[in-house]
Amino acid sequence: MKYLRLLILILSLTVGLIAENPAELDSLFEQGNRAYQEENYPEAIRLYESIIARGYESGPLYFNLANAYYRVNNIGYAILNYERAARLMPNDPNVAFNLQLANLSVKDRVEAPPPFFLFRWYQNFLNLFSTRGWAVIFSILLLIAASSFAVWLNLDLRRLRRGIKSLFIVSGALSIIVALILFQKYRIETASDFGIVLSGTVSSLSAPQAGSTELFIIHEGTKFKILDSDGNWLKIELVDGKQGWVLSADVAKI
Amino acid sequence: MNRLKTFSLLFFLQLICLHALGQDLRISASVNQNNITDKDVLIFSVTLEGISDFPEVPPPESPDFVLISGPSQSSSIQIINGKMSASKTVSWQIAPTRAGKLMINPISIKYRGKIYSTEPVIVNVTASAPAQPRSAPPSGTPDKQVTPSSGEEVFLKAVVPKTTIYMGEELIVSFDLYFKNVRTFGRKKLPDAQGFWKEELDAPTQPVITNETVNGVAYRKATIQQIALFATTTGELTIDPMVVDCEVIQPSQRRSIFDDFFGGSFFDDPMFSKTKIVTVQSEPIKIRVRPLPESGQPASFIGAVGQFKIESKIDTLQVKQDQALTLQYKISGSGNINAIKLPPPSLPNSVEVFEPKIEKKIDKSSGSIKGSVTYEYVLIPRRPGLLTVPAIWFSYFDPQTETYRTISTSSFKVKIVGSEDMLSDRSVGLNKTEVSLLGQDIRFIIRENPVWRKSGQTVFSEFWFWLINGFSMLVIIGAITLRWWTEKMESNLTFARRRQAWSKWQNRLRILQKMADNVVGEDFYAQLSQAVNGYIADRLGLPLAGLGPKEIEQELRRYAIDSELITKTVKLLEKLDEIRFLPGMIIADDPKEMLSSSREIVSALSKVI
Repeated sequence: MKYLRLLILILSLTVGLIAENPAELDSLFEQGNRAYQEENYPEAIRLYESIIARGYESGPLYFNLANAYYRVNNIGYAILNYERAARLMPNDPNVAFNLQLANLSVKDRVEAPPPFFLFRWYQNFLNLFSTRGWAVIFSILLLIAASSFAVWLNLDLRRLRRGIKSLFIVSGALSIIVALILFQKYRIETASDFGIVLSGTVSSLSAPQAGSTELFIIHEGTKFKILDSDGNWLKIELVDGKQGWVLSADVAKI
Repeated sequence: MNRLKTFSLLFFLQLICLHALGQDLRISASVNQNNITDKDVLIFSVTLEGISDFPEVPPPESPDFVLISGPSQSSSIQIINGKMSASKTVSWQIAPTRAGKLMINPISIKYRGKIYSTEPVIVNVTASAPAQPRSAPPSGTPDKQVTPSSGEEVFLKAVVPKTTIYMGEELIVSFDLYFKNVRTFGRKKLPDAQGFWKEELDAPTQPVITNETVNGVAYRKATIQQIALFATTTGELTIDPMVVDCEVIQPSQRRSIFDDFFGGSFFDDPMFSKTKIVTVQSEPIKIRVRPLPESGQPASFIGAVGQFKIESKIDTLQVKQDQALTLQYKISGSGNINAIKLPPPSLPNSVEVFEPKIEKKIDKSSGSIKGSVTYEYVLIPRRPGLLTVPAIWFSYFDPQTETYRTISTSSFKVKIVGSEDMLSDRSVGLNKTEVSLLGQDIRFIIRENPVWRKSGQTVFSEFWFWLINGFSMLVIIGAITLRWWTEKMESNLTFARRRQAWSKWQNRLRILQKMADNVVGEDFYAQLSQAVNGYIADRLGLPLAGLGPKEIEQELRRYAIDSELITKTVKLLEKLDEIRFLPGMIIADDPKEMLSSSREIVSALSKVI
């Protein structure tokens, strides 16, 4: 009886978390889409942003929001939201295409040195699935490994025993690899160490003080890596390796 | 012919020079009048004779006189009977500053190594009372009884509103001419004022004449000059006198029948009167200049004193990148406009700022110095974005309230628009794939409702992940435990016996139950005894062979077991043995009762061993 009650509790919790898909969010999303189709982009932006303000997110939401920003020629916010969408949907061709197109409007053309091909492959491999996808794969592999291990350890199935042993070894090794990938993905996803310039022109200074020497200028939509922070200031690094300090109010973390 | 003439003239001049060379210089000083009043002007002349190349003559020096005009020079060369005499006269107009026996210092001239000096000149100056001019009727009102006067009927008075001012404060000095019958006047000398910035105010072309009585004598008064002074240093400063020449009408002595006939007005008309030049001068005025208060002096104060206002103007609030903007700051008001300076506006590096065009306008027509200073900056923003032109602060001292005031302009936000041709401009730096993207449009939005998740939520904060993986871990742990269990069962007999004792007992009990339901034979008791003994032996790890109730009692005593339970157990075992070994004595004991009591005892034992 006690166990049954606990089970019900666990089940209801799980269901509650998964099924937390309030109709309200869907309705806001649909209204936003309608406003977008009616070319009322500011209203669409308002509706999409209101979903984010409620503390929810999703890849399509960021994608649509970015499209709306692109339409009102707000390149900084457009790119920020495409990047956020790409984080949640790394393999979506539409997100990649629109991001590429929006990047054409960015004034700074900082060319990144071409990445080492192995690294590129690795990146592509990581992006085969989203973090959630990798998590599902990991869970399934671990389940297979655990059950095959249990069977192999305790049951004498004679001829099948060998096959089960190899199944355990393969799935176990794979689950370790996927666990590492998952950890890597998680780090990339949570470490907000990339940012986008939001306002028109931002001066990058040599020190986190208002009067210090101006090193270079970056424009709306430029992506950069965040290295350090000091109060209102962020130390950034561009793709080509240039470093400087910018006011955090002028930029946003992806 | 002409050339010959020139030549002969040159020769002649040369002769004169040679002739003059040997001559001595004679120098003398003189004044045109020795007895004057302190309102008169003297002509002081220095005459040099005997030479033709006259040296420079320094002006007369005397503490009691002021220089009014000069020097004026006249020279003459006379040749009489082959003898040449040359002379030069240098003269100045000077005025005494006080009454008494005054001396004009001798003048020394250095000529060819020798020093020539004049004699000192003594002038007797008598005080004149301007309040009691000797006579003269006002013009246009003929008075036959009045005798013409020598000219003291006009005097000049300098008027200041106050004699203590702040440094930089405006001080208006008015020069009032009191007169009776003056046709014209001419300003001979404007007052000097050391330590002041001086601005002449516009004098009216036709001074307003008012009537005023001074010490019982009726005068007409006209303010002929006003100057604005701004002290540039502190301390005791002097405003020097102003000197004015007046053309005084001397009433005609001639009286004729026409005068009587025409009421005198016709011939008393100044046009027909004799005039005399009278020079008058005002008194010097001492002014005490105070420094500006130290306390409350704002940082942006740079010396402006007066009443000012500031305004800023920008020609547009939206401009394209690289196009010029005009930013204007204008300070206007009354006060020492000359002292106004504005700091340059602090603008970001992205804006090119050119040197300002500074325009000063001073208006002297309204009785005080008013005006404006305009700074016009040309800015060229080099980057798009929102440009903030900050406010400028300007401080001045208001001498009326004796406080410092700080005023400011408003700041501007100018939108700088980037150049329009963005795509064509930047297609230069694009690569092939990027060029192929030009002209394409973004892909349409996603319309299916997505799966929502809490922002910042990752897989690791989701429940299903931990549920599945936790289950997997449990499976692994369970498998290992099971394996360990079986292995121990297989390798350790005592452990296996102990572990299996209960299930064995249960199995036996089930069989015994069935037996008890049917016919009860000796076999039942034997089996029951075996089951109970077996259970205890299995639990305690004892060999079955040679195990009797006494041994069991002994073993049980080792454990902290209730002695009542031990006796019960022993009794049961003894009874079962009895029934087994004495088959004839099948007692009346109900086998079912026996079975249930054994079950109770074993259950009780299972809790303690």
